[in-house]
Amino acid sequence: MKNSPKAFVLLCFITATAIVLAGCDQPKKAPAGEGEATGTAGSSSSFEVNNSLKGKVVVEGSSTVEPISIKAREEFNKRFTKVNVSVSGQGTGNGFKALANKECDFSDASRPVKEKEFKLCQEAGVSFVEAPVAYDGLTVVVNKNNTFIKSLTVDQLKKIFREDFAAKTWSAVDASWPDKKIAIYAPGIASGTHDYFVEVIGKKDNKGLRSDSQTTLSEDDKTLVTGVAQDEFAIAFFGYSYFEANQDVLKAIPIVNPKTDTPVAPSIASIESGEYAPFSRPLFIYINVENYQRLEVETFVDFYLENAAMLAKEARYVPLPQSIYDMVCDNLEQGKTGTHFLDDQGEKRSGGLEAVFKPENLRAR
Amino acid sequence: MEKFYTTPRSETNRKAKNRYFSTLCLLVCGLVVLTLITLLTSIFITGGSWLSWEFLFAGHLEDNPEESGIWQAIIGSIAMCVLCALCALPIGIGTAIFLEEFQPRNKILRALHWLVQLNINNLAGVPSIVYGILGVTAFVYMFSYFPSITPNDPPYCEVGAEYRYQLKTLGGDFVNFPCPDKNDKEFRITEPLEAVNSQGSPFVLNVVDTRSQAPKNDPVLLKQTVVKGKRPSAYAVKSFFYFHLPFGKTVLSSGLTLGLVILPIVIIASQEALRAVPASLREAALGMGATKWEAVREVVLPAATPGFMTGAILAMSRAVGEAAPVLAVMGGVLVTTNGLTNLMAKTPVLPVTIYKWAGDENVGFEHLAAAAIIVLLVLLLVMNSIAILIRSRYEKMLG
Repeated sequence: MKNSPKAFVLLCFITATAIVLAGCDQPKKAPAGEGEATGTAGSSSSFEVNNSLKGKVVVEGSSTVEPISIKAREEFNKRFTKVNVSVSGQGTGNGFKALANKECDFSDASRPVKEKEFKLCQEAGVSFVEAPVAYDGLTVVVNKNNTFIKSLTVDQLKKIFREDFAAKTWSAVDASWPDKKIAIYAPGIASGTHDYFVEVIGKKDNKGLRSDSQTTLSEDDKTLVTGVAQDEFAIAFFGYSYFEANQDVLKAIPIVNPKTDTPVAPSIASIESGEYAPFSRPLFIYINVENYQRLEVETFVDFYLENAAMLAKEARYVPLPQSIYDMVCDNLEQGKTGTHFLDDQGEKRSGGLEAVFKPENLRAR
Repeated sequence: MEKFYTTPRSETNRKAKNRYFSTLCLLVCGLVVLTLITLLTSIFITGGSWLSWEFLFAGHLEDNPEESGIWQAIIGSIAMCVLCALCALPIGIGTAIFLEEFQPRNKILRALHWLVQLNINNLAGVPSIVYGILGVTAFVYMFSYFPSITPNDPPYCEVGAEYRYQLKTLGGDFVNFPCPDKNDKEFRITEPLEAVNSQGSPFVLNVVDTRSQAPKNDPVLLKQTVVKGKRPSAYAVKSFFYFHLPFGKTVLSSGLTLGLVILPIVIIASQEALRAVPASLREAALGMGATKWEAVREVVLPAATPGFMTGAILAMSRAVGEAAPVLAVMGGVLVTTNGLTNLMAKTPVLPVTIYKWAGDENVGFEHLAAAAIIVLLVLLLVMNSIAILIRSRYEKMLG
């Protein structure tokens, strides 16, 4: 009995070393998915590496915008190696809270600022510049084997997702569809994606998303994907980039554009052109102008906006027209702070990004 | 004839029942082993081939699992473990000595003693996320007693930071020079002063009154020129002992929080170690005229030390695997720019890295998560075997 512990320990050590060594000699498995396509970022032309710029940049906010900011950090750190950029994605609402509390240099947002948050910043004496950085197409997805849904109208989506209709079965939405229970998977209430979807289907009637036993809410997009991938009669919605990464198990449903009355499938082209309506949305960063005066923040934000189109593509989003990026840079340079999405009464302006994001719509702060 | 005993059930029936029960036990046991084997195999199949030296020594890269690695997470885990040991071991062992060796006779103190013991037993079962929330209040914000940390202002009670100003010259060079007052946000450049350029060589800043006076034809001088009235921005050069209050979302906060998580475990294990020291040793020391403290210091503690160490290492291996309190305190950090240069920095750790990778939208990271699990398992295996080694020595010593 006395010797057995030693033998066990020896065994443990041998196994441990064996595991490490065995693993280390093997070649890596072929990459799964399309991850390898994005190696080094667009402008791989030679750049000067700078080790003298120092300091810290703090970014908080939307988990939808987080991949763009992380990509920006990665590329920026290749050029400016000593600037410590910390990015965290705790949700758009938390990002604005941090912005108002001066806890971050800029915040990521998957929707424009709300009246309440705008007021909060005003009270705290925080002025920000509003900067759209990319488009995201909110995508409605079903199981790959689902053949009965060819397209969906906004009205049908209301029947499926809204708390007052809350259709129990597919046949209740369309008589020709099977008499099976609908299983709904949706992002949780803290996410900007949830807010945006509810805004489209229920804002006017002041109705929210259903939350009955047929609905699963989760902040983890992976839960939504697995849910739909395993259930032929399930439906879910999330950001376009997430659908693109999981196309092999999911099917995106074309949405009928209310203006042209034709179903449009989500794609980079249809999102950029605005045809994929009403479910394409702009993503933003909101920059605290006081913090922008710090050299490291200025350099990072300038880099972010200069390369926003490339960064958006790398994070699998859709770039904005160059004119919008140019306008943001002008606003930053001239210190034009405030939001374009709220009118003087605090009501949200409606319309596409290019219609709203105009100098005359700026509500100064 | 009257029976004085009940008839035993048939011999075969009893034996059969015995056999059934042993088989049942064996089956249950096999089920457990089977689960473990399935788990290990699936992890090895998913992650085994992704293990490599590059994986061990690289950092996380977004959307690029092929070149990502866990070096920072390993360093972070070790640092956090050391912090947590430094905080939990002295307090834990001290408490155990108080509870076991200095049992009070006074009635009130006895009640206190009983209360402490009861609390420790209960605390050992509290879920670690609860400690996480406690850590956020107690260490990250320090009950909001100090002003909160904002990127624009120097934090309260700062130690080990040297402030410098930096600015971009007209030629696009990033230069810096010492900052005499870190709270002065209105400092403007009015006269030439000595600065360091981005190559690290000193020069004298050339100040011009307006942009039009800039020496446009001399690129070298242009790189050293600024317009009068330019406002530089301050930054902190942090030394390795950099410190501020409140601790914020840093490695120190999470180390201390993990210390709280394992404190009850350390106390209970140390109590066991003290109880295992034969009473005869204590009595002999006391009988020789030693005071209680002398008996504890010279006799009991040396005999219990291997037991303390075993308990400590087992507690540490619990701490290494904890994700929830670290997530609550520090957030889901995957990589930092400068690595772990001081205690007031964030750092990734192994369990959090595994959690984040397993949920990443790039499926390649699932394999990396499995590979990281293997590394974590190896780490735990090594730690546990050290504990067993110490225990076997200890058993030998006490004969």
